[in-house]
Amino acid sequence: MGAMRVERGMSDTFTARAPAASWRSFDVQLAFYALALAVLGLMMAYTNSVGAPLAAGSVFTRGLMWFAIALVVYVVAAAFDYRWLRTLAWLVYLVNIVLLIVTLAVGSGVGGVSRWVSIFGLQFQFSEVAKILMIGVLAAYVAARRDSMNRLSTLIGAGILMGPPFVLVMIQPDLGTSLVFVAVFFGILFMSGMRLRWLLLPVAAALAAFPILWTILQDYQKRRLLSFLDPSADPLGAGFQVIQSQLAVSAGGMFGRGLSGGGTGTELLPVQSTDFAAAVLFQELGFVGGVVTFALFGLLIWRILVVGWRSDDLFGLAFAAGVASMLLFQLIVNVGMVLGIMPVTGIPLPFVTHGGASLISIALGLGLLQAVAMRRTIPDWQD
Amino acid sequence: MTDMPGFPPPRQRLLFRFGVFGLCLVLVLGVLTTRLFTLQIAGGGPSGGRASEARLTLQPIRSPRGLIYDRAGRLLAFNVPSYVVRVRPADLPLPQRPEVVGRLSALLDMPQQQIIEALDRNAGLLYDPVRIASDIPIEVASILEEEARFLPGVEVVVEDRRQYDYGPLVSQVLGYTGSVTPSDLNRLAGMGYLNNDVLGKAGVEATFEERLRGSYGVEQVERDGSGRVIRTVSVVQPPEAGSSIELTIDVEMQQQAEQALGWAMELIGLERGVVIVMNPQTGEILAMVSLPTYDNNTFARGISQDDYQALLNDPRKPLVNHAISEQYPPGSTYKMVTGAGALQDGIVTARQKLETAPYLEINGYKFWEWNRKGFGPMDLYDAFGRSAGTYFFQLAGRMGIDRLAHWAHQFGFGHRTGIDLPGEARGIIPTDKWKREVFNQPIYPGEVYQAGIGQGYNTSTVLQVLNAYCALANGGSLLKPQIVRRVLDNSGEVVRDFQPELIHELELDDQVLLELRRAARRTVTIGHTGNLVDMPIVVSGKTGTAEFGVRDSEGRLPIHYWFTGYVSKPAADGQADPEAATSELAIVAFAYNAKTRGNAATEIVKYFLQLHYGLEEDYRRVDLLTEYGGT
Repeated sequence: MGAMRVERGMSDTFTARAPAASWRSFDVQLAFYALALAVLGLMMAYTNSVGAPLAAGSVFTRGLMWFAIALVVYVVAAAFDYRWLRTLAWLVYLVNIVLLIVTLAVGSGVGGVSRWVSIFGLQFQFSEVAKILMIGVLAAYVAARRDSMNRLSTLIGAGILMGPPFVLVMIQPDLGTSLVFVAVFFGILFMSGMRLRWLLLPVAAALAAFPILWTILQDYQKRRLLSFLDPSADPLGAGFQVIQSQLAVSAGGMFGRGLSGGGTGTELLPVQSTDFAAAVLFQELGFVGGVVTFALFGLLIWRILVVGWRSDDLFGLAFAAGVASMLLFQLIVNVGMVLGIMPVTGIPLPFVTHGGASLISIALGLGLLQAVAMRRTIPDWQD
Repeated sequence: MTDMPGFPPPRQRLLFRFGVFGLCLVLVLGVLTTRLFTLQIAGGGPSGGRASEARLTLQPIRSPRGLIYDRAGRLLAFNVPSYVVRVRPADLPLPQRPEVVGRLSALLDMPQQQIIEALDRNAGLLYDPVRIASDIPIEVASILEEEARFLPGVEVVVEDRRQYDYGPLVSQVLGYTGSVTPSDLNRLAGMGYLNNDVLGKAGVEATFEERLRGSYGVEQVERDGSGRVIRTVSVVQPPEAGSSIELTIDVEMQQQAEQALGWAMELIGLERGVVIVMNPQTGEILAMVSLPTYDNNTFARGISQDDYQALLNDPRKPLVNHAISEQYPPGSTYKMVTGAGALQDGIVTARQKLETAPYLEINGYKFWEWNRKGFGPMDLYDAFGRSAGTYFFQLAGRMGIDRLAHWAHQFGFGHRTGIDLPGEARGIIPTDKWKREVFNQPIYPGEVYQAGIGQGYNTSTVLQVLNAYCALANGGSLLKPQIVRRVLDNSGEVVRDFQPELIHELELDDQVLLELRRAARRTVTIGHTGNLVDMPIVVSGKTGTAEFGVRDSEGRLPIHYWFTGYVSKPAADGQADPEAATSELAIVAFAYNAKTRGNAATEIVKYFLQLHYGLEEDYRRVDLLTEYGGT
């Protein structure tokens, strides 16, 4: 029951059956879907680098560089004995909080927003990495409380853990990422077997808190959120991107205009290398390309769940659940926004939106999952 | 299926939850695919879903700017349609910007940097068009229209721009319009200005901006997929045209004043000069010429940065209205203040004679009479007429600096006149307190002498000098000089009729003013102004020779010449009485840094008067306008 017992259990695990990483158990499917999506993202980076895609500093060359870094991160994370993450969870948590505070203090952004921190001249959005780190922290917490998943105290503890980073990201202000935290929170607790009745409590609380939350939001955030309901109410203002994005998508048709085909420009969005990158994808690759993209996301997320299911401890399962929830949530919100059925929030589409931090954090998450897959000791449940 | 060791949540529950998650995944992908199908294949979505289809938007309708007339109804400022190139940043994808900017630069013959700066300086939303170039030739406009497909975000629209038919002649008074700057927008926040708007930047265009502008309307337009306006659907709110303005300026007199001033400036190579003509009975300004000047049409057409810099850096300050915005020592014209104050304060009577020595000495400094010989004993009339400095030194010395300043303020010196033009200067009237504040020293007796003849610390605008003499000419009413006569709404109804506006009545007895008018007439009759007395009109006034700057190699200071005065109005019998306060024309001429033997300002006034009154004989004395160093 007490913390001591959990500690002892953990050390038992390490001494008794610490398995060596087995590259033969490398989960090819998990890697393949992610790679395919990353290549798709690079294609988008290429098509958005009108002029000289191969020139230094173009969207494409920067994308290539981030892709290379992400590969390294993936391999290192896969080779890493993820179980250490449970021991180091508190440290990771503290580092995470410090990084978010640093971002608030020295970060720069557009219009009084502090999201970006420059490292070696590259802009880096720490809140992206914070998402993966928090998934790790929460998974470690859940694993430590595996005997108490029916208790309300576990839920409250998880809420206390999630509170500070959520607030820090919220006041950047980065509404989108803070919502991802919420999705990850529910995803992990739900998949780890938390009692439904306890899970419904925070849902009710969130609904009750909504009016308060609304008053905290900046005016531009409110306008953006509401504009999707009736973009024509302010067609030159907040509704502009909503309309413009759908027009761009609909121009794609069945097979799309081909890469760079959207380059005549006027139907495109002013700044493509942003959260609206998916609009370019749908326009240039068409309905077929869109369905392929959806399928790759579906397969990837499902494969992540399978890896979690097969892992030999609750940490692996919870971690997989967190990554899957994050990807699914971002897919819904980002693509939904581009297609005009979700409000406008600044959430990137994994792999497709060209942001170094987003790709690195996904590589870290998937790499750790690969580590989980490579270290399972029990036979596949279907084998 | 058995429970795994150490997995308290039942395996069954977990499996069920995996199922729920998987179902969510399928559902989400299904919804997204359906929506994608709707947009791309079924043709749903906004405005029918096709980028090529139209959409409705609101946009402002500019109101026609009010016109500006002179007092005789001559049109000075009006609006002509012109082609304007604008870029809507929201429609110009960043990657294509260099290409589009390059093409625009070649077509418009503008440096690329300037276009990029215009885009980056844009203070409004991405969706507000940014003005890149104004008044482009129709050939360029049609090329831009033809290439529209390759120039995303670029649009050519027809916009009114200002046309000033008299150009430089009235530019100092009219001013000009120009594009709003971000700081303008901040200042005018909430007043409905658009980020690519135009507003009055100088002159009457600036002071009467609010009335000239009118109020903008709103219309609903239909745009195609690339944002171009196809047609107007409806007018939501019609615009209201700006009011028109009628100036007090008479363009004919303005031309005469400019001709007179321009003649002298060219002859002597003057750097700057001013002529103002006013009606002393009403305060209406009939002509106001400040040279050198500029063509306000270049501003209305969108002046290039280079041309603007050249105007700004010109040492002769062509953009500055020297009639009101610069202050110069008033010199001997100021002796009216000293004389009037001394009479009113009982320091001297008009007929009392004072000795005018070659110089007065105070604390070892010699204050010389201008002829270096003195004139012997003189009464006020002759001392004023001959401009005897030592006479007025004595008056000033007896009055003291603060009393002298009191009378200066009475005549409007040291205060803005309140004319409806921007950038009016105040001038300096020294007092003991002022000296202590600025220099941390008391005023010295010698400085009081200098103040008595409008030298030393004294400075004033050209308009202030004229306005003081207008008060003398009209019998003691200091009026606000006016530049606008009437404001008319767009149907020609008079909205506002400007009446003479009294600043204050001078605290001077009528007798004092009468003595001063006699003295001013003596200036002409005594021959101090040469052959001015020979003209068939009755002129009274005062000359001025104001020293400024640093001494040349021969110890002489550079000088400005002044002449200010008024023409007496003929009575019913045809005789003009110089002592009557009925003059309807007062004039000042100012010649900056004139290196001539004789008073150049007097010659300018003479020339103006003979042009204005249509005199056949030429009274100009070109021989006086040779350089003093040369003879």
